[in-house]
Amino acid sequence: MRTRRLSSKILATLAATALLATACGGGDDASGDATTLEMWTFKQAHVEPLKAAAASFEQQTGITVNVTAYTPDDVYKSKLQTAAQSGDLADVFEVHAAGEDFVLGGSGILADFASDVDGAWRGRFVEGVADAGKVDEARYQRSLKPEAPDAGIKTGQQFSVPLTIGTFGVVYANKSMLEAAGLDPKKTPTTWAEFIAWLKAVHATDATNGGLTVGLKSPTTGFNWMLEPLAYAYLGKERYQALFSKDPAKAWGSQDGKAVLDLYHQVTPYWTPGTQNLSIDDADRAFAQGKSAFDLGGTFTLSAIKQNGMDPSEVVYFGVPAAAGGAQDKLDLAPLALTGLSISAQTEKTDAALKWLKYLTTEEQAGKFAQASLDLPGTELGADLLGPDLGAMTGIFGSAADGAYDPADVSFFAPAYVDTQAGETLVRMSPLNQSDPDKTNRELGSIVATSWQG
Amino acid sequence: MTRRRLRESLTGYAFILPATALFALMGVYTVGYGLLLSLARWNGFTKDWIWVGLDNYLDILYRDPALAPLVWDAALNTGLVMVGVPVLAVVAGLPIALALNRIRLLRNTLRTVYFLPFVTTGIAVFYAWTYVLQPQGSLNAVLGALGLGSLQQPQGFLGNPTTALPTLIAVMAWSSIPVAILLYLAALQSIDGEILDAATVDGASTWRVTTSVIWPLLRPTTAAVVLLNLRDALQGFQIFLIMTNGGPGGTTNVLGLQAYKWAFFSDLRPTLGLASALGWVLFVVAVLLAGVNLRMLRSRT
Repeated sequence: MRTRRLSSKILATLAATALLATACGGGDDASGDATTLEMWTFKQAHVEPLKAAAASFEQQTGITVNVTAYTPDDVYKSKLQTAAQSGDLADVFEVHAAGEDFVLGGSGILADFASDVDGAWRGRFVEGVADAGKVDEARYQRSLKPEAPDAGIKTGQQFSVPLTIGTFGVVYANKSMLEAAGLDPKKTPTTWAEFIAWLKAVHATDATNGGLTVGLKSPTTGFNWMLEPLAYAYLGKERYQALFSKDPAKAWGSQDGKAVLDLYHQVTPYWTPGTQNLSIDDADRAFAQGKSAFDLGGTFTLSAIKQNGMDPSEVVYFGVPAAAGGAQDKLDLAPLALTGLSISAQTEKTDAALKWLKYLTTEEQAGKFAQASLDLPGTELGADLLGPDLGAMTGIFGSAADGAYDPADVSFFAPAYVDTQAGETLVRMSPLNQSDPDKTNRELGSIVATSWQG
Repeated sequence: MTRRRLRESLTGYAFILPATALFALMGVYTVGYGLLLSLARWNGFTKDWIWVGLDNYLDILYRDPALAPLVWDAALNTGLVMVGVPVLAVVAGLPIALALNRIRLLRNTLRTVYFLPFVTTGIAVFYAWTYVLQPQGSLNAVLGALGLGSLQQPQGFLGNPTTALPTLIAVMAWSSIPVAILLYLAALQSIDGEILDAATVDGASTWRVTTSVIWPLLRPTTAAVVLLNLRDALQGFQIFLIMTNGGPGGTTNVLGLQAYKWAFFSDLRPTLGLASALGWVLFVVAVLLAGVNLRMLRSRT
């Protein structure tokens, strides 16, 4: 009998200990050490630079920051979703800027820290992207539509500050392959015709490895990264935006659409074989390994090329050139915030989190981060702080106010417009050659018209 | 006596309680959650669901001009997979099983070899197949070396819209044939040898014995093989996600992949309800198929 009682006591003690341990484990983030922050990112390449910054931050402030990456993107989103529901979120996040931050903010996952972003902090960021994480009136109005993913946001709220910036529509070329084709890498193409001539020349010397690649397994890449900038330069801002309008005389399906698709179709013979099955990472890897002479991407592609073992000095890059006879002689690309820094709405360590965000966006830390990650920072820096590889990259940028193509401007799309279908339609024309510009134009027109019916 | 029975009943219920609770939590809750989600518009993050009734079902089946064509194109591809994979599994699995059942030499070794695709199949193998099928992959190289250059695919077997879906069907079948062989082997060994002897004594040739005796006796096994592969073909999407992501140009999109894209790759648009509705449509089709199969089994055995 005594033995049974003793066993019961031991069992009860063990159960109580287990419950206590579980309770302590689960509440680690909410009530744990105030000098320790948890940070999540979806970019593996940012982990080491962030850890390096965290080490010096700890020395200065005594606050520890633990950085964890969850990749790829869908895993990161699922992690945020489940952690938000279980109340187990990190304190600070790196998020996709000007989109994901608003969705998470509207859902109550991210904190609104607009009142903490004073003039001095805001003034650190590159002009044009400083307010990328702030809800403006147009964004708010779009959020009221039933299809909008960012319901719940309010004008004036701020859910992120820029960490990295960049743009799409940058073509990288292998210097050695250019020289082997008799081209001068220093004289990069300034017109669409010159670009096609470059493609033709390199492809003629090496039909297997001398082509252009991009991750068309994500079919929107060709559409967003090349067709759209090309269309913008050729048609000008108004006629370009009209391609996505309700007006069938100006939208895809019209003569303007056909003219742009005719230009784009000139690339069709020069794609690297099989590029339609490559992911963005695969395409960058193929370029770095010499299996492709040209790689279409963005400013962020330089980092991927280096990670895959290619020396950035072996590469020349230029923005998608404007076609002759169009509205613009030269196409400048406006920078947009690519990723932002956000704070959890569930954290009790907001002050420490704000300190960390401000520290990361100082000139010194942003410079170190940029040189280590080869990603352009959201903080305004001089060329000396950016380093030689990134310093020259900023030459691609122009101001949206001066007519540069701004990929962040999505105000003219129908709320139900989904670019995946448009991307797949374009892939069927180029590189697959299953469709011609006429048919593709009609199909794109149908997609845009349908998007306005939603 | 009554008290004893009550105690026995309670003991019985106590034994099944953990399993029931687990099923209630993992099964009923998630199924119920999924069903409710199919009646709502939600992106997985916002606080509130917007109830839309049966709109998601109607939109994906015929009403929305942007969504319904996607679903029907994917349904056509799924249908082709549902025909191709089971047929290949039976056409390749049965002869191999018959051969393995007859030979004595190296039987166990060969069984192991034929079963390897099943135990090794998975994400890593699908990546390996992707490399094999690339323009500069080993399949093109082997075809070239054998003087079969006309069969080479300059864009890769997955890059050509004409060959992409048949290639994926072949890879799916490659991973499903081992199970078919295993089931057929088990069924073959359960056939009474006296029946086969009687047929032989009556003068039936090997071919006649196979087609008129063995094949009818294996019909329930064939039905099981077909059903298993139909289910995989209907609901599986990993191979399509990894090897083509539905491309090139949407030519290998299937229903399972479309549901996955709406759930996780819609730029955080509120399309989780569409994904769930499509999942339920797939469930209904799977139940109907199971019913047809059950009826086939009943009528033939």
